Amino acid sequence: MNLKKILSPYVIVLVLMACICSAIAFTVCFADDNGRTFTVGFDAEFPPYGYKDESGEYVGFDLDLAKEVCDRKGWTLKKQPIDWNSKDMELKTGAIDCIWNGFTMNGREDKYTWSTPYVDNSQVVIVKKDSNINDLTALAGKIVAVQSDSSALAAFTGEDAEEKNKKLAASFAELQQVGDYNSAFLNLESGAIDAVCMDIGVANYEIASRGGQFVMLDEHISSEEYGIGFLLGNTELRDDVQKTLLEILGDGTFIQIAEKWGLESSVCLSEEDFHKDNVNIDKGQSFFEKFISVSGQLAEGLAASLAIFLLTLLFSMPLGLLITAGRMSKFTPLRWIVKIYISIVRGTPLMLQLLVVFFGPYFVFGINTPASYRFYAVIIGFTLNYAAYFAEIYRSGIQAVPKGQYEACEILGYSRGQCFFKIVFPQMVKNIIPSVTNEVITLVKDTSLAFAISYTEMFTLAKQVAAAETTIMPLFIAGIFYYIFNFIVAFIMEYIEKKLSYFR
Amino acid sequence: MNLLEIRNIEKSFGDLKVLRDISLSVDQTEVISILGPSGSGKSTLLRCMTMLENVDSGSISYCGEQAVTSSGGFPVYASKNQLKKIKSYFGLVFQNFNLFPHYSVMKNITDAPIHIQKRPKNEIYEETGILLKKMGLEDKGDYYPYQLSGGQQQRVAIARALAMKPKMLFFDEPTSALDPELTAEILKVLRSLADEKMTMIIVTHEIDFARSISDRVVFMDGGLIVEQGSPAEVIDNPKNERTKAFLKKMSVNS
Repeated sequence: MNLKKILSPYVIVLVLMACICSAIAFTVCFADDNGRTFTVGFDAEFPPYGYKDESGEYVGFDLDLAKEVCDRKGWTLKKQPIDWNSKDMELKTGAIDCIWNGFTMNGREDKYTWSTPYVDNSQVVIVKKDSNINDLTALAGKIVAVQSDSSALAAFTGEDAEEKNKKLAASFAELQQVGDYNSAFLNLESGAIDAVCMDIGVANYEIASRGGQFVMLDEHISSEEYGIGFLLGNTELRDDVQKTLLEILGDGTFIQIAEKWGLESSVCLSEEDFHKDNVNIDKGQSFFEKFISVSGQLAEGLAASLAIFLLTLLFSMPLGLLITAGRMSKFTPLRWIVKIYISIVRGTPLMLQLLVVFFGPYFVFGINTPASYRFYAVIIGFTLNYAAYFAEIYRSGIQAVPKGQYEACEILGYSRGQCFFKIVFPQMVKNIIPSVTNEVITLVKDTSLAFAISYTEMFTLAKQVAAAETTIMPLFIAGIFYYIFNFIVAFIMEYIEKKLSYFR
Repeated sequence: MNLLEIRNIEKSFGDLKVLRDISLSVDQTEVISILGPSGSGKSTLLRCMTMLENVDSGSISYCGEQAVTSSGGFPVYASKNQLKKIKSYFGLVFQNFNLFPHYSVMKNITDAPIHIQKRPKNEIYEETGILLKKMGLEDKGDYYPYQLSGGQQQRVAIARALAMKPKMLFFDEPTSALDPELTAEILKVLRSLADEKMTMIIVTHEIDFARSISDRVVFMDGGLIVEQGSPAEVIDNPKNERTKAFLKKMSVNS
């Protein structure tokens, strides 16, 4: 009797379970359809338009405007931080209703249905105060950074970029793209880059909150306008929102909100004296106070990471066993399907798999996924990925059980099921503990990949807080949290290993 | 009626013919040793008799119940339930014991009687106590296999087989995984089983062992039973050239 024979009855169970799982997942995900929720997509690292403040709330000029619009319309506002690179997919799948986040219209006129511009902005250059760079020509031969897919980048390299800007960009030693402004400033401070180009509103905020180390060049790269971007063709919603926005402008609330954020100069096309005392983040907090406050904010993200971690383990470990059954089945087509599945999962990045799970339902089946699907997508993606790895670990553990054990079972009259669960399974568990420990520890760190589909877990949060507070401390604290998390995991696994050392 | 009746068994692995037309009858209480050089097919024969390996053709019956018959050159095995019943007639002690490493000695012995045969637990524990005592392991019930010596593990394996109350026992090279000085220990155990009229088939290549325990010695070579008879006939006065050659070689070795 060989192992394939033992496992074949479980193959049917595998297929059934997979069907049931997907059925449940889809029912749960697409059941809640709340039409009165207005979901605003924004880059949570883009102060003062939208970012995370000290208390862990998403705040900003644009979010206040959106809140005001929702209040007047009787809608529920949902603030959805998104990964900037995925903004179009988020909009298309209906995961967000609009992009409202210092969203530059120039060069994107035909890609979205726009509101009328409400902020005029310019692209400016920031350098270190003690640098010798005083005008744009001095940037020749220097390393200049811009955020990827930002208006600053478009101003230099976009199709509609002005000739003078293209020439200017050509004179740089390098035009470097960075993920977020916080890292850009860290680079600038350390001298790794010489200048950063960005929107004037952001520039003023950053200069003010970083204690006068940086200055802005007088010359500007370009001017541009901000609008609210809706899905192309969605004029109904656009008109609805715009009408309310004009009401807000009419009764003076708009200017009040702009003043609150020090943006009154930007909304009236001036960049002078932009900065008021409202953006002083560092309100004389001691390091310790700040540490506690940041830790508190990250704890929320830690809970999210923990949820991903626990649910992934809960689902992927049993699913892995079923996949092993399929992988070792004597039914050749099933074995090949499982083999291909494992090969794809192991051969492609988890980040990509998450994107496929999240955006797949829309782009493949045309299903509009509700906001709650984001979390399910994370769990489904992680589970499918880790189950494949666990399956291969289980298989190695099963194959390490000597053939004689099966023969002893057969002679003693155990059924295949009894033999597997009573005799083989416990030995397999012992065999695989070291590999499983590795995998589980990797999972703890992999939870950070949920940022790929803008699910806010600890690392995403750390990056947002770091951007808002203009310090890298949150990243270090996140690192400490990950380490403690893994320390506990390793401790538990060691305990299990010890528990299982009663036999050899 | 013979306990075990084997007729014209054939078995090949690919092109290699391992068993050629083997027939053998085993009477109640008989102790038979199967001798032969390595590659002679004696282990394969044992695996076919215990149904760990399927035969290519031929028939096997236990207590008059057909386990496999041949029809048109193909083997036809009995139904699953019938085979299950037939398999309960015999036990097998493996060459490397195959004890369950995660079970204590006690559980190794009692698990199958409790969960497979579903006999009353107190009865089983009582019997197991007696068995362990007989094997000289009365204080080892809570030990795990890795904590025991090879000889002790061998005796646990024998106890595990006996706990199923088989009509006959097979032994696959019972001494080959043990140090030579432990051979006598196992011999003693087997002899006491023989005294209790246990039917046994022992595959071995230890001539002295075979001589001292067997009622009948079967000598195999090249997939054939070359010669069989009492130890006095086969071991002390072999008629066949191949038997002679093997015995001569073994005596040079030992």
